[in-house]
Amino acid sequence: MTENESPRIGVYLCRCGGNIGDVVDLQAVADKLKEDKNITVNIQDYLCSSAGQDKIKNDIEKGKIDRVVIGSCSPKLHLETFRGMAKTAGLNPNLLEITNIREQASWVHDRDSKESVNSKVLGLIKGAAARMGSIEPLTPLTKELVDRTLVVGAGIAGITTALELADSHEVILIEKLPYLGGHMIGLSKTFPTLDCSQCILTPKMVAVHNNPRITMFTQTEVADVQGSPGDYSITLKHSPRYVDIKKCINCGACARKCTAGAIFLPFAQAVPQAYMIDMSKCKNCGVCVKVCPRDAINLEAKEETSTISVGAVAIATGFEPIDPSFIEEYNYPSPNILTAIDFEEMLSAKSKTGMRLQKADGTFPNRVAFVLCAGSRDFTGKGRKHCSKVCCIYSQKQAQLVKKMKEDAEAWIFYIDMRSAGRRFEEFYHHTQEKGVNYVRGKVAEIIPKTDGTLMIQYEDTNLGRKGREIFDMVVLCPALIPSKGTKEIADKLGVSLGDDGFIEEKHVKLEPVNTLNQSVFAAGCVLGPKDIHDSVTEGISAAHKVSQFLGKGMILIPPEKPQIFECNGCGECVKACPYNALALDGGKAVLSPLACTGCGICVPACPIKGIEIRNFTRGQLKAQLQGILSEAPGVLVFIDPYAYAAADIAGVNRKQYSSLIRFVSVPSIHILDADVVNAAFEYGATGVMLIEGTTDEKLTSRSDDLYKKLKKDTRKHKKPLRYSHIETAQYEKLTDLLNVFASQAGAKAEKRGRKEKGEKPEEQED
Amino acid sequence: MKKEPILPESRDTTFRDQVLKTHVGEKIPTCIQCGICAGSCPVSHEMDYSPRELVRMVQLGLKKEVLSSNTIWICTTCFSCSVRCPRGIHPTELMETLKPIAIAEGIINKNAKFDNVFSSVIKNNGRASEFLLISRYSMTEPRMIKQLPFGLEMMAKGKLPLSIDRMENTRELEAIFKLGEKGESKIENKEIKEKDREKDSDKEKEKEPQETKMQENENEKVEAKK
Repeated sequence: MTENESPRIGVYLCRCGGNIGDVVDLQAVADKLKEDKNITVNIQDYLCSSAGQDKIKNDIEKGKIDRVVIGSCSPKLHLETFRGMAKTAGLNPNLLEITNIREQASWVHDRDSKESVNSKVLGLIKGAAARMGSIEPLTPLTKELVDRTLVVGAGIAGITTALELADSHEVILIEKLPYLGGHMIGLSKTFPTLDCSQCILTPKMVAVHNNPRITMFTQTEVADVQGSPGDYSITLKHSPRYVDIKKCINCGACARKCTAGAIFLPFAQAVPQAYMIDMSKCKNCGVCVKVCPRDAINLEAKEETSTISVGAVAIATGFEPIDPSFIEEYNYPSPNILTAIDFEEMLSAKSKTGMRLQKADGTFPNRVAFVLCAGSRDFTGKGRKHCSKVCCIYSQKQAQLVKKMKEDAEAWIFYIDMRSAGRRFEEFYHHTQEKGVNYVRGKVAEIIPKTDGTLMIQYEDTNLGRKGREIFDMVVLCPALIPSKGTKEIADKLGVSLGDDGFIEEKHVKLEPVNTLNQSVFAAGCVLGPKDIHDSVTEGISAAHKVSQFLGKGMILIPPEKPQIFECNGCGECVKACPYNALALDGGKAVLSPLACTGCGICVPACPIKGIEIRNFTRGQLKAQLQGILSEAPGVLVFIDPYAYAAADIAGVNRKQYSSLIRFVSVPSIHILDADVVNAAFEYGATGVMLIEGTTDEKLTSRSDDLYKKLKKDTRKHKKPLRYSHIETAQYEKLTDLLNVFASQAGAKAEKRGRKEKGEKPEEQED
Repeated sequence: MKKEPILPESRDTTFRDQVLKTHVGEKIPTCIQCGICAGSCPVSHEMDYSPRELVRMVQLGLKKEVLSSNTIWICTTCFSCSVRCPRGIHPTELMETLKPIAIAEGIINKNAKFDNVFSSVIKNNGRASEFLLISRYSMTEPRMIKQLPFGLEMMAKGKLPLSIDRMENTRELEAIFKLGEKGESKIENKEIKEKDREKDSDKEKEKEPQETKMQENENEKVEAKK
C-alpha cells in the first residue's frame, strides 16, 4: 500500500452460530457499514473455522483488502489465530484487529432493546475501522530468553515440574518449608490403590536432590520480581536453618546433646537430610556447635537474600485446609475433633504418634465419623463455594484405614453427594461399602463434645427423612481446600490473575490449563484448584512441557506498541515519569530502550510538548476510534486495560448483564490518556467516561489517583461524569455492578443537562 | 402416611413461581438437599415434612401438601436452619411467606387455628390464660373433647385456674395493637409500591403478609409484656 492510497478495510462479522447472530442484526450492521466506500463487509457463521479464515485469507491474497477488522468473540481467544492467518497471507499482523461483540455485547445486554445493541455493535466496528485506517504495520521486537526456570513450591506438582524440566533445562526449585514433599509427604496411603505416599514420593525427592540441573532452596520465598517476561531478575529470601545443609552428615550428635529439643531432623525421610533448629526452643547454649564434627551449625545465621535470573516461572504453591473454627456448630477445635489433614499426618512419615491412630488420651478411637464438606459448597460467604474434589475419596480411604487397623471399629461417613467420578473411584466406593463403612446422606448439623470426651453428632438421614444422633470417639472434618497463603502475593508479583475463588486463573480454562495470562508464567497442581496426586502430576508434566516449549523458542516476541518520540526539547519529564527506567536523556534528547519499556504509555501525557505517542495508540488514532464509536448514538466510554478487559470477558462468559450504553475502548494502560483524548470523548457525545484499571503493578496503580484528579480537573468544562475504578480480573461482578450504576448516573445527568439546555431547570450542582 | 405419587396435575407451577419470586424464594432452586436444616431443627420430628422436604416440595410446586402441612405452623423460628444452610436459603422466612398464602387459600388446619386463638386471647386480655386458650381452642377443634378428662384432672389439682388474669390497662394494649396495625399497613404500602415498581405481582398477595405480621406482632408483644 502506498501512502496516498486510501486503505481498503475488510470487515468480517461472525454470527458465532447464534451466539452473536441471534442477538445482533449483523445484516443491518453490514448494510450501514457498506455506506463507507473504503469498507467491504462479509458475514460468516463461524469465522474461526477454516472456511471463515480462508475467506479472509483469499480476500487479502487477491488484494481486495489490506486491513482487517473482525467482529467476533474476545481477542483473548482468537486474535493470535487470525493474526497468524494474516501473516501467512502476507499481511502485517498489526493490520488485523478484533472487536469484541460477543463477551462484551451479545452476551451481556439481554435487558436492552435489539436496536440499542445493534447501534452499539455498529459504533464499535465503525470505531475500530476508523482507527484501523491509520494503523502502522509494525514488527514485534525480539528479546533473548534466559534458559532457566524458577519452580515455586516443592510439593508433588513442583517436584514433577522440576524433574521433567531438568532433562533439558536448568531449574531452581524453592520451598517455603525446611523440607521437600509438600502436603504429599504428610499423607498416609494414597487412593485408590492404597500405596504408601512416602514410598512413591521419597525417590522423587531424592532425585531432585541429586539432579545436577536442579538447584534447590528450602525455607525460601520470592521476595521481589524485576524485569519482564523471559528475563526476570528475582530476589529470593532465605530464612535461616542454622545448620548448613551441605555440611550436615545427619549424625545426630547435636540432637543427642541438646537439652531443649531445639535441634532435630524434621522427620526420618526428610530431604534435604539435614538437621534444623527451632529458635523458639533454643537456649543458645552452643553445645550443638561444639559437638558438631563438621562445623555445620551457626547460631548467628541471619535471613539472607539472593538474586536469580530466570526466563520462566512455574507456580506450584499448592493448597492449605481452611480453618474450620468458623463453623460454630462443629465446635472445632475440641479434643478429638480434627481435620482430615491432621488425620493423614498422624499416619504418615511426619507422624508424631509413631504412625498410630489415637485420640487425645492416647487410645484407639473405636467409633470415627468423617464429616464432608466442612466449609466447602457454601454460598453464604462464610465458607467456600467450590467442591474440594478429593474429600469424598480420601475420607473413604481413611475409613478403610480405620477398619483395617481394627476390624470391629466403626467408621461413618456423612456426605451430601458421594462424588466418585474418575477412573477406579466408583470401584473404590464399592470396595469401601464392602468393608462395612456406614454412609449417611446428610450434612452434619451439630457436633457436641460430651463431658466424657466423646462427641455427639446430630444429623438428618436425608434418605429416610429422619433425624438421628450418634456418639463417636473421634470426628474428622474434611475441610475446604483453599489456595495456600501467599498465593495472591506471588501472583501479583508475577502479574498473574486469580479467580474469585483465589486460585490462579488459567489462560484458557479448557485449552490452556497450565498457562497463565503472563506468557512466561505457568502453574501446576492445587494452586489451580483442589485435585489429587494423579492430576497434580499430570499438570506438573504439562507445565514442564509448556515451559520447555516456551524456552525452546530462545526468543520472546515483544509487542511493538512502544512510545515513539517525535519531538523532544530535552526537558526530561518523560524520563522522570517512566516507572521502568526505559527512558533516558542522551545528548539532550529522550531515548527509549524498547526492551525495558512495557508500553504503559505514562510518558505520553507526561511530555509537555506532546512529542510522544504510543505507536498504534496515538491520540489521533484513539480520537478517530472514539468518534466512530459514538457516531451512532451517545454512550458511556470505558477505557479499560488488558487485566480489567479480562474481567469484562469473564462477566460475558457468566452472562452478567449490564447496560448496552457501555462501550469499551481497550488501551495498553489507562495512563496513556490525557485531557486531550477524554475531552474529545465528551465532545463526540460520550455521556460519561470511565477509566478501569486492572493491573496490580504498583508502579502504575500508585499514580492512578493523580491521573484521575488531573483528568477530572482538565475535563471539568464538560460537566459530564468521569470515574476511575480498580477492578482485578476476578472482580467481574463488581465490574458489572459498577458499569450499571455509572451508566444510569451518566444517563440521569445527561437528561438533566438536556432539560437545562432547554431552559427548564437552571440549577445544577457540580462537585 | 400415605404417599401420593408426584404427577403433573399435582404440581402447581403458578404457586411455585409465586414463592420463588419472593425475596426468600430466590435461592430455593439452589437447594442441595443436604439436610442440615432438618438436622438442626428442634421440632422437625413433629413436622409433616421437614424443612428440607418442604423446600423440595416448593421446588416441585406441590401446593396442597405444602400449604396444608403443619410444618409452616410448627416452626419455632429459632433460625438454626437459616443460619446453617450452606446455600443461604432461609427456611424460617419461607415458613413466614407460606403462612399468609395458606390463610388466603382458606387452608386452616389445627395449628393455624391454635395460632389464631392464641393471638386473640392476648389481644383481649394482655396475658395468656391457659383456660381460655384451651377452651376456645377446643371449640374450634372437636377432637379436643378427648382431652377433657385430663383437663378436669388438672383443674382439680389447681393447674388450670379458671380466673382470667387480665392486664390492668387494656386500653394501652389496644393502642399498641392499633399502632402496630397502622405501622404494618404503612410498611405494607411501602412494600407494595416497591413490588409494583419491580414487577406486577399478584394483587391477592398484598393483603396476606399483613395478617401474619399481625400475629407475629402480637407474639412479640406478649413476650414484651412478660
